[in-house]
Formats: sequence, C-alpha cells, structure tokens
Amino acid sequence: MKKKILSLALVGAMCVTLLASCGGKKNATWKVTCPWAPSGVAAMVSQQAATKSTEYSDTITLVAEAIKGDAATVNTWVADTKANATELVFVGEGLLSITSILDPGKMQFSYEDFAFVENLYSSIFVLSADAKLNIGSIADLEAYVQAGNEVSVAVNGATGSEAFLAAALFGSMGAGDKLKLTPYQSAAEAAQAVARGETQFAVSHQSQILETFQQNGVTVVCAFDENDIANGPFEGVEGVGQHGYPYFRNRCFVMARAGTDEAKVKELKELYGKILADQEVADWLNGTMLLEVDTMSVEDVEAHIDNVKNIVNEYKDIVAG
Amino acid sequence: MLQHIIPATGLLFTLENILWINIGVFIGSVFAAIPGLSVILCVILFLPVTYSMTAIPGMMFLLGIYCAGGYGGSVSAILINTPGTPHAAATMLDGHPLSEKGRTKAALKIALYASTFGGVFSALMLLFLGPQVAKIAAQLGTAEYFMVCVFGLTIIAGVSGKSMIKGLISACLGLLISCVGSDPMTSYDRFTFGISRLYLGLDLAICLIGLFALVEIMAKAERRLDRLNLDTTQIKDDGVITKAEYKRMARPVLISSIIGVLVGIIPGTGASEASWFSYNTAKNMSKYPEEFGHGSVEGVAAAESANNAVTGATLIPLLTLGIPGDGTVAIMLSALMINGLNPGLSLFTTQGDIMYAIMLGLILVNVFMLLQGKFLTTLFAKVVSIPQEILTPIIVIFCFAGAYSVNGNYFDVGVALVFGILSWVLRKLELPPVPILLGLVLGSMTETNFRRALLISNGSPSIFFSSVYCIIFLVLIVAAVGTIVRGKIKERKANPQKED
Repeated sequence: MKKKILSLALVGAMCVTLLASCGGKKNATWKVTCPWAPSGVAAMVSQQAATKSTEYSDTITLVAEAIKGDAATVNTWVADTKANATELVFVGEGLLSITSILDPGKMQFSYEDFAFVENLYSSIFVLSADAKLNIGSIADLEAYVQAGNEVSVAVNGATGSEAFLAAALFGSMGAGDKLKLTPYQSAAEAAQAVARGETQFAVSHQSQILETFQQNGVTVVCAFDENDIANGPFEGVEGVGQHGYPYFRNRCFVMARAGTDEAKVKELKELYGKILADQEVADWLNGTMLLEVDTMSVEDVEAHIDNVKNIVNEYKDIVAG
Repeated sequence: MLQHIIPATGLLFTLENILWINIGVFIGSVFAAIPGLSVILCVILFLPVTYSMTAIPGMMFLLGIYCAGGYGGSVSAILINTPGTPHAAATMLDGHPLSEKGRTKAALKIALYASTFGGVFSALMLLFLGPQVAKIAAQLGTAEYFMVCVFGLTIIAGVSGKSMIKGLISACLGLLISCVGSDPMTSYDRFTFGISRLYLGLDLAICLIGLFALVEIMAKAERRLDRLNLDTTQIKDDGVITKAEYKRMARPVLISSIIGVLVGIIPGTGASEASWFSYNTAKNMSKYPEEFGHGSVEGVAAAESANNAVTGATLIPLLTLGIPGDGTVAIMLSALMINGLNPGLSLFTTQGDIMYAIMLGLILVNVFMLLQGKFLTTLFAKVVSIPQEILTPIIVIFCFAGAYSVNGNYFDVGVALVFGILSWVLRKLELPPVPILLGLVLGSMTETNFRRALLISNGSPSIFFSSVYCIIFLVLIVAAVGTIVRGKIKERKANPQKED
C-alpha cells in the first residue's frame, strides 16, 4: 500500500511539474561568452548585467560565462554558433581593429560574422608620468618631447590598445623614433613600473593607475578622449582630442551571431538598455571601475572600429617594428 | 592591518566558506591517508572545481586539502607503517612503534595536536610576516624580479631527486613548454603550429592533470597493488597522553614549528625537509634520545608540527613574490590568479580584505582539521584500505572532467592526455616531474623579466647588479648553488659508485 501511495505521489508531482512548465511566457536563456579573464572588467560587467537580467525581463535570462582565450575563444564561438542560437559573445576593438590588421591569421572570423547587440561601457585611457618629471599637462609633455628626451612608456601587452595610443600620441608629436614601448603582463604592473622609474610614462585605464596616483607616485598628464575628464578622481585632466591628437576609448561589444532574428536582437538591446539605465549599475560601473555607461548604435560601432583601424594602420610600424 | 582584519572576518565567517573548508579538510585527510595518493594530486584534481568559485571559498577549499594533507599522511604512517605522503616518513619512525606498543590512538592524537599547533603557528607567521615581505616585494623592479626568479629556479636542485642532471633536463623541458604561445614581449607566436588554442599558451592546471594525475593512473595499471587491509578495531587504547608527555613535547613542538616556518619560506624546500630536520633536532635536544625510533612521543610531535608549519610559510613567497614555496602551492597560484589576485603588495592593499580573510582562514582550516581529526580519525583509518580498483576509476573521471571544465573544451582534454603520456615516458627515463612544474611556473616570469630588464637598460647587463636587492639575491643564488654543489660532491665522495 505504501509503495502505491508513493508511486501515485510521484506521478502527481511529475504532472504538476509538467503543467507548471506549460503555462506562462517562454523564457529563453542567453549565454554571454566573455573571451577574457573572469576577473577582468568585461567579465565582471557581463556578470552584473546577467544578475540584473531577471529583474528587467520575463522572457530573457542572461547567463555570463568567461572563457579566457581571446581570438581562440571567439573562433570556437563562431564555429559552434549558428544564426538564432541563444548565444552572445563579447568582441572589442582589440580583435576587430588590432589583431585583424597585425595578425589576421589568428582570427577565423570577421565583423560580418556578428550582429551587434549593445556596447555596455566605455573606458577612457590616461597617460601617467613619473612624478619626478613634473609633467602635469599636454603643454608640459610637448615641451618634454621637444627637448629631445627619451620617451619610454609602460604598456599592458606588446600590441594592445595602450601601445597604439602611446604610439599615436608620441608619433604625432614627432617622437615616434624616440619612443620605447615596454610591455608588462598587466596594467597594474605597468602602473607600478612608472612609479618605480623604470619608464617615464604609462598608458592605462583610469582605475588601474588610481592607487599609484593616490600614493603620489605619478602625475596624470592627459586622457585619450576628445574632452577633459568630467568627473571622478581625474576630473579636469585634459583630453588629447582638443589638441588634435588621435585617441579612442576602450569598448567591448556584445554580439549575436550574424543572421539572428532582428526582433530578437532588438529585444536583447532593449534589455541591456534597461539594465544600463539602472542607477545602481551606472553607479557600480563608475564607482568601482571608473567606467561610463555607453550604449551605441551600429553606426557608432563601425565608426569606432574604423577609427582604431586607422590609428593601427598609421602607427603599426612604431608598435610592431 | 587592523583596518583589514574586521572586514576580513566578516568575509570569512560565512556558511559557504566553512562548508568548503570542511570539505577540503575531509578530502585532504582522505587523500593523504591513502598511500600512493598525494596532496599535490588531490589539489590538481580539485583545482578546476575552484574556477567557478570566488577567491575566498576557492582558496579555503584548497588550503583545507593542503593542510589536512599534512596531517592525513600520518594516519597510515602510524597505523600500517606506510607513510600516506612522503613528509609523513619521519612520523612513521616513532608513530608506528608507538602504535605497536598499543598506543595507536595516543599516537594519532599526538600527530593531530602537533599538526594543529604547527599549522596555527605557521598561519600566524603568514599573517604577520606576509604584509611585511610584500612591502619589500613592492620595491622590487624588473631586474630584481629576474634575480628572484633565478633564485626560485634554484629550487630545481632541491626537487631533482637522485640526479641533478635529470632534474635540470626536466626543468629545461618545463621552460621550453612555458614558451608555447604568444611571445610576451612582441606578441609573435611561438610553437603554436597554427593551433589557435595554443596562442595563449598552455593552461597550467591542464598540464598538471596530465603530468601528475593521469601518469599515476598509467603507473597503477602497470603494477599489481597489494590491498592494505586494516582492522580498525585494533584502535582500542584510551588515547591518554600524560601531563609529563605533554611537557616533554612542548619544546620540540615549538622548535619544530619555527624550523617548519623557516624551511617553508625558502623556495625549493618543503614539508619533507622540515620534518626530517626537526626530527633530528628534537632527537639531539631530547633528554631521552634513546627512545627515538622506538615510539618516542617527541619524535612524532616534532615531525608532525614541522610538516604542518610549512603550510602557511610556503604561502609567504607565493603571495608576495609569486614564487611558490613548493609544488602544491604553485598550483594554488592558478586559483588566485583566476580571481584577479596577482601576487605583490597590491594584493595586500587593494585586495587587503580578501587577503586577510584567506590568511585568517588558514587558522580556521587548522581548527576544523583538529575537530575532524578528533571525531573522524577512525573513518580516515578505514579509508586506508579502500581498494585501488574503486579509487582509480574515480580519479580518471576527475582528471578528464577537470581538464574539460577549465575552459569547457575537448582540446584541453587532449592536452592533458598528451602530458600524461609525456610524463609516463619521462617516468620511464627517471626524469622527475616536479622540475617541469617549476619550469612551467617560473619560465615565462623569468624570460619576461630578463628581456624587459634588458629593454629598460638598453641592453646593458649592468642592470642586474644595479640595486641592493639585486646584490642580495645574487649572493643568495651563489650561496644556494654552492651549498647544493658541495652537498652533491660530498654525496658522491661518500658513495663513489653512484652515477649522477
């Protein structure tokens, strides 16, 4: 008798489960692959967005995943994903504008393989200088360069965005031949190197130089942006754009596979829009990592990729020799 | 320090952390208790589990395994005269005779208490010394770091086993493997053979699964293992330790803990060296040296406190300089770095709360090791006789699942298999695997700092002699190499037939 009751209860429970899953709206889970370290900025932002997704959508749940591998991870993603697959991936200017020119063999994909969903944030790079040099503005920097001094810049990685920004700035000042790029394994290491006097300058994200700046080890000379930095600990730092020097911000785009239903892409974009409009998210981005919410259109994205490509093409001889 | 302690306590005392500590301690005790399974193998197998965790629970889990491994090895050493781990060999000398005298429970209790004392002492040393060493580390530049790396590479001599030449060959192989991937200074590819998965180099955890775990399975397949039958009902003594015995043990335990910490800080040495050194010191200082080897309580206490005192100390060079104190903590570096915790001063400043939580957690790990040891030792003892036919398939599943889970692809499973076969071939050639691990860990760091230093100095090698720290490390390197060579010459003179 006991066994019969148990069996009936089990069947009942299964039926309830089945019926429960029949009703309501269909909920799709979208996996968002970040091809960089799980501890990196993009992965953390993606995780935050995924956490918030259930608050703003009944039909889409974002699940963040970080698989360190850069081009290799995106290669696999493109190979394994078809149009309308519930999969998204992060791609930045590093792959679309730098690797595509310097080392295209590494990439088994192109911009055309993706459908742009949204850009979540942008980060302004800054140039910092050894505090002993007393360089606090672009005018000081120009005077330093014109005096024929050695220019060594600590950068994160040999051919990353930071290396190209340094090459673009000093190259357009006419000091490309004097520029010595010293690659470090991380932005934090590069920041410490300039404070120790191993190099005269460093290019990094604002948040990565903050600690060294607060310890008075460095001065922040300029920002790689059009205008001066508007707020935060580096408020008032001059933007190089005003002086006619090239620049770009760091951006990472969330992409779907090319051919994915436009309505679905639009729905995803709207969801990201709602998440990024959340003041808590904006405060978190700005407060913890000095990032800005930066939603973009397809045209903005293409303009950004082209801008970086132009800089890479012009200064690749300085960076890659 | 105090500004970090209070928030760190809040971060540490969560149900999740306490659960993971206990799981780690349990698994570590079980693995170490079974002869043939090592702590390093256990940490490698469970490392991928931590990749989905945040830093504190991940590290608590691994530290639980690491510390309990220090104690667990003594269980089989005392019970069946077979050390569960190499560093429990010194414990065996007196632990098993004590057991044969009908004092099995007492011997296990002494090992447990001494291990706990050594572990807590070591954790406190880490807590107080770690931040100070990190401050010094922050002053080290590229050239100094290169010298630190070279000093770290002298570890190879310590872990080469019988033949230093073979150790060096293994290390060179490790250094060569560390070159796979993008050149750190130019981003050009090296040894990638057009395989895109190799652009970022080989994942340490995957290589280690092959080098240390899969090779064990292959080795087990080659030999017939005797079943270790243990009747746990023989553990029936009251386990009483007299006041006089506690008094006798106090001094050797304290001295051995200090020795363990000092040995642990020096890269290349480890728990085995610490336990033997402490055992001999305790014997020389004892009023009853004749009891050593025949069931001396001091002998058991000295060996056990020393091998657990190494645990916190090995983390000091790891957390401050990125130089692992021994092979097991080298693996933990992966768990730290995946959470964005890069060794150095910034770890103690920007991530101070997390760091202090981990360091305080090490004390908690030892407390739970004591509790589990008190109540579960009989269970650990039973585990000793689990047949290998059951254990081996479980380890195989863990190896492949672990390799797959690191990056979620089958390519890594293939890499682990290739490394397993490579390690098996090396084993046949009697080439030790630990130097390969050190080559893998230190290779990229050494190369990058060497080339960057030369870039900074415009190619002048004088940069390597340009600061006080460089000179200090140079002296240490020369002293270490000199000591090792002298030791080898002595050894050869004492045993002229031995080929090296």
